[in-house]
Amino acid sequence: MVSVMDTELKPRLISVGTANPTTTYTQADLLELFQCENKLIRRFFTNSHINKRHLVLPEPDEEGAMPFEDGAALIDKHLKTSLSIGTESMGKCLANSAITAEEIAYICAVTTTGFLAPGLSAYFTRDGGLRDNVHRVDVVGMGCNAGMNGLLQTSQYAANNPGNPAMMVSSEICSAAYVFDMTVRTGVVNSLFGDGSAAIVLLASEELTAKDGPQIMGFESLIVPQALEEMRFDFVDGLFSFYLGRDIPYMIGDNIEKPINALLGRFGLKRRDIKHWLIHSGGKKVIDAIKYNLGITEHDVRHTRTILRDFGNLSSGAFLFSLQELTREGTAEEGDWGVTIAMGPGISIETGLIRW
Amino acid sequence: MELTTIQFERADGVATITLDRPAQGNAISAELVADLKTVCEYIEDEVDEKVVVIRGAGGQFCSGIDLTDFPVDDKPNVYGFGKWESACRTIERLPKVTVAAVDGECAGGGFQLALTCDVRVATERAVFHLHEVREGFLPGMGTFRLSKFIGLGRARRLALTGRRLRAEEAQRIGLVDHLCPDSGLDIAVAEAIEEFGEINPVAIELCRRLFDESFEMPYEEFIGSFLAAQHRAIQTEPFLRRVRKAHGVA
Repeated sequence: MVSVMDTELKPRLISVGTANPTTTYTQADLLELFQCENKLIRRFFTNSHINKRHLVLPEPDEEGAMPFEDGAALIDKHLKTSLSIGTESMGKCLANSAITAEEIAYICAVTTTGFLAPGLSAYFTRDGGLRDNVHRVDVVGMGCNAGMNGLLQTSQYAANNPGNPAMMVSSEICSAAYVFDMTVRTGVVNSLFGDGSAAIVLLASEELTAKDGPQIMGFESLIVPQALEEMRFDFVDGLFSFYLGRDIPYMIGDNIEKPINALLGRFGLKRRDIKHWLIHSGGKKVIDAIKYNLGITEHDVRHTRTILRDFGNLSSGAFLFSLQELTREGTAEEGDWGVTIAMGPGISIETGLIRW
Repeated sequence: MELTTIQFERADGVATITLDRPAQGNAISAELVADLKTVCEYIEDEVDEKVVVIRGAGGQFCSGIDLTDFPVDDKPNVYGFGKWESACRTIERLPKVTVAAVDGECAGGGFQLALTCDVRVATERAVFHLHEVREGFLPGMGTFRLSKFIGLGRARRLALTGRRLRAEEAQRIGLVDHLCPDSGLDIAVAEAIEEFGEINPVAIELCRRLFDESFEMPYEEFIGSFLAAQHRAIQTEPFLRRVRKAHGVA
């Protein structure tokens, strides 16, 4: 397999588009809707450092409580919302570039919040107006790090097929993976995740410059198999119930230096050479753990914090929302190095090196 | 590593940076800023010594920014100040104990350089002052750092008046940690280093960082920072060794 690093012409990430469901909830709104009186669970919501989240939740019943959604209803919600915000993010992404939907030669759809066959890539092809011979792949069930795994695959396609635009679409409908059983376990999950989609286009072309977007330089992965059970879906009473272990932030903190040192070492770089850090908005504790173990600053994690505050944990697409913030900020200059980091089940830490 | 405006030495577990422009009062020129940055990165990457001492050549610490770096016939710009601050920040973040050994004049940017260090040792003849406002410009990021040492009122008065502060008074208000006779700087620096005992670089770096950040965030946010930093510290060998010792395990 030819890795991105080995090709002379590195693909550039030339466009990003994002979308979210229109309905937003503050943490206080959600506590009221969930009719949650458990003090510990309420604390998860109020100490989350999240202001609001975009979610698709059923209308409350006459007593103000949220009606039960069974597995079929959740799968249906996942598909419908994915199609709505997925195609919206695709459209915005293409509108930000000079690429048309018909020119897209490859699509990678990423999700963990719903299992479908055919996969989302088929639906995105149909509803996003992609051509019928587009190459497709679905990255399913890999969790919050999956956007980075998808980026690796998409980058390799783009690198090996210069002139052929490759698209990746993350679509996470976390409200389709919610379980409301008033346990601490689900309380942690329900206080954190939000719905959102992010789409990007990669293209390898001699004609592109730093102004078009950063080049994808390389990747480094790490899995900590002894922590395999720390982040997982369990099938409980006909629903997928997500579990987040208490020690995850610390485990990630303990292990984060390893892939970063390996990635930067391959390019002869030091951490001080990295100007932009695009880190998954996994939650306050994990952001703090990364910050203090890598020795990076609050300024370095500003976009990560902003996305957490305004959207919650968007799972696989979160780091692309941060990229969009950085692009809007306009501070990346030619020659700048950037690092992307996403963490998820495994536990795994996926890292990537980009350069403007 | 080629350095033209500073000397760098390593001896007896201590790395020493000496600002070496005595004829110019060790003033901060663009070249000196570049040299300082180079040597700090070298220290971070290559130097095992756990202590860094910063001092000046010729019986003075540093007279501040070298105004001859600004053009007479062109509009001055702030890029040099940005680079100087970047060098200061690098010193402030070094995973080492940093000591400013201050003799004679310690003015403007030199004053700020002393503030970036963990400890300030000064001779009795040392004088601290921020002359910038009197000269029509600003005392750099000293505006950010000084009040954290001596309080807003004192810091503002010192910066606005440019009053010269003798070392004894500087010690009284908490700017100088160790005061020594004019001929006793080396001994006083050694004593100041001795106070640290066993130096654990990770704990030093994290503890210093938390103190700096404590001014920036509310308690509810800071506790998360503390726990993340503490988790890192307690995974290090010095702590684990202490735990083993407490349990009587070799």
